[in-house]
Amino acid sequence: MSDKGQNQGRKLLAVFAHPDDESFICGGTLAKYAAEGVDITLVSATRGEMGRRMGNPPYLNRETIPTAREQELKNACDCLGIRQLRFFDIRDKTVEFVDREALVARIEALIRDLDPDVMLTFHEKLGGHPDHCAIGWATTEACRRAGRLESLYFISFGGMMEQPERYGYTRRDVVKVDVSAHLPAKLAAFRAHRCQSEIDEWVWRSDREALSRFGSHEYFLRAAPAPASDAAGRGARGLF
Amino acid sequence: MIRINREQTEAELRKFVGSDVYVHSEATSYVFVRNFKVRLTEAFVAGDGPSYRVALRFDGHGWLRMEGLTHYETDEAGRLLLAGFDDRGRMDVALHLGRGPFPE
Repeated sequence: MSDKGQNQGRKLLAVFAHPDDESFICGGTLAKYAAEGVDITLVSATRGEMGRRMGNPPYLNRETIPTAREQELKNACDCLGIRQLRFFDIRDKTVEFVDREALVARIEALIRDLDPDVMLTFHEKLGGHPDHCAIGWATTEACRRAGRLESLYFISFGGMMEQPERYGYTRRDVVKVDVSAHLPAKLAAFRAHRCQSEIDEWVWRSDREALSRFGSHEYFLRAAPAPASDAAGRGARGLF
Repeated sequence: MIRINREQTEAELRKFVGSDVYVHSEATSYVFVRNFKVRLTEAFVAGDGPSYRVALRFDGHGWLRMEGLTHYETDEAGRLLLAGFDDRGRMDVALHLGRGPFPE
C-alpha cells in the first residue's frame, strides 16, 4: 500500500461532525491515501461553530467562528490532500436532533452518487460526543441501506483500538494503518485548525518535538466482519 | 473583542432598552439559546472586573442574568457581543443582542 499512484482512481468518503475531526483523529491515514492517489471527499456535518476554543488568546467570537472554522478546514484539507469538501450546514451540537430519515437519505444519496471504495465515520456508540455518535449512526444506516456496510470503517481515538477486547471487539475487527510517513502532513493540518490547536502548546513547538507526540499508527474498526477468504483483511475493493 | 469596561459596556447594552431584541445566550458547556426575542426594559453591568455580571429585564416580568463576562464588541452588523473567556482563550459564556435574528 505504499506505492504512489497505486490507488489512483479509488475513492474514499469520510463523514464526520466537526472541522478538525478529520485531522485530529485520522489525519495521517487521509494524508496517506491522498498521497497514493485516492480521491477523498470529506463531509463535515457542522462548522463546529459552538466550540469552546476560540484561539489562545481568543481571536474569534460565536458569530465569527463559523466562517473561520470553514476556512481552517479548507486549509487543513489542502494539507492532507483532500480535494472535495462538503458541509451539511447542521448547527454544531444539534446533529442528534435533526430529522434522522432526511439525514440518512442525504448520506445514502451521496454514497450512491460517489460510489466510494471506502467510507469512514464515527462509531455510533464509541464516538465520544453526541454529534459524533449521531452522524456515525446516520452514516452506518445509510451504508446499510446502500448495501455497502462491508466498505465502512469506524475511526477511533489514539490507541484505544490497540485493546479492542475492552470494547467488545477482537483484533480481526481492527485495521491498523501505518501513518509514520505522513505525520508532517498531519501536523500541518493540526496547525491549520489554529483556533482549536492553539491551546495545545506542543503543536506549536519545533516540528521535531511536535511530531514526536503522534503515534505511528491509526486504528479503524470494521463495520462488517472481515471476509473469511481475505487473509490480508482488505475490504472488498482493496483499500484498507 | 476588548475587555469589558463597566460603564461603556452598560451604555452599549442600554442602547437596546425599549426595543425588541434577539438574544443569543450560552453557558458554553451546558446550554445555549439562540434567537429568543424579547422587549428589553432594563440592562445592567455589575462587578469590579476582570469578569462582570450582566442582567437584563425584559417584557416587564423577565430576567436574564449571567456571570463571568470578560470581553465585548459591537460588530459590523451593529450587534452587541459579550463573552467570557478563561485564561487560555476558551469561551465559558456568551451573550449577544441584535435587532434582527442571528443566523440559525
